[in-house]
Amino acid sequence: MENTVAVLMRKAPYGSVYTAEGLRSILGIGVFEIDVRVLFVDDGVYALVKNQDPSVLDMKSLGDAFPSLPEFGVSSFTVHAPSLAERGLSVEDLVIDAELVDDAGAAALLASAGTVLPF
Amino acid sequence: MLYTINKSPLMFGNLKSALRIAPEGEPVLLYEDGVYAAAHGAATEALVADALAKHPIFALKADLEARGITRLIDGIRVVDYDGFVALVEEHPVVPWL
Repeated sequence: MENTVAVLMRKAPYGSVYTAEGLRSILGIGVFEIDVRVLFVDDGVYALVKNQDPSVLDMKSLGDAFPSLPEFGVSSFTVHAPSLAERGLSVEDLVIDAELVDDAGAAALLASAGTVLPF
Repeated sequence: MLYTINKSPLMFGNLKSALRIAPEGEPVLLYEDGVYAAAHGAATEALVADALAKHPIFALKADLEARGITRLIDGIRVVDYDGFVALVEEHPVVPWL
């Protein structure tokens, strides 16, 4: 799958620029009709929780952005289940329908991609 | 896949997180502050020693020398820049930033 890009999201959304930049990259790659798979691991899963309202920080909600990605050709979202469980979260807490994977599933997704972009 | 780690294992969970997901046998490369994981006597030594039973672990020579890390955990393989390039040519990279 040489033409597949895995975007590896491991950071919480508002403490650094990583999540916002990851989102921008996902949009950019999607527009070029390259197959993008987004994998959320560790604090990356916090980018997907419902009820984010960073307006008090003068920032836009990144959680609102992910559900609109299918309009840009990006619809493969995978969440590392142990990372979710460790944070007391379940799929019901997330803004999108994501596939859950275990350690081996996450590794297989990364191995299936031609390129891994980390954020 | 070559899992690459550039953060100190004592300050960040990057090493532990990568080792959880990296399948047995996949190589791991320590560079920048990631090389502190190669240091003998650090609190993370047991984690790294366990990982060495499952993965080849490489550490970048220039980053070890820059930090004065001279006593390495047995089994750590030191690579120079050419060795780094060879690893990257040989394996697709999973940068665990």
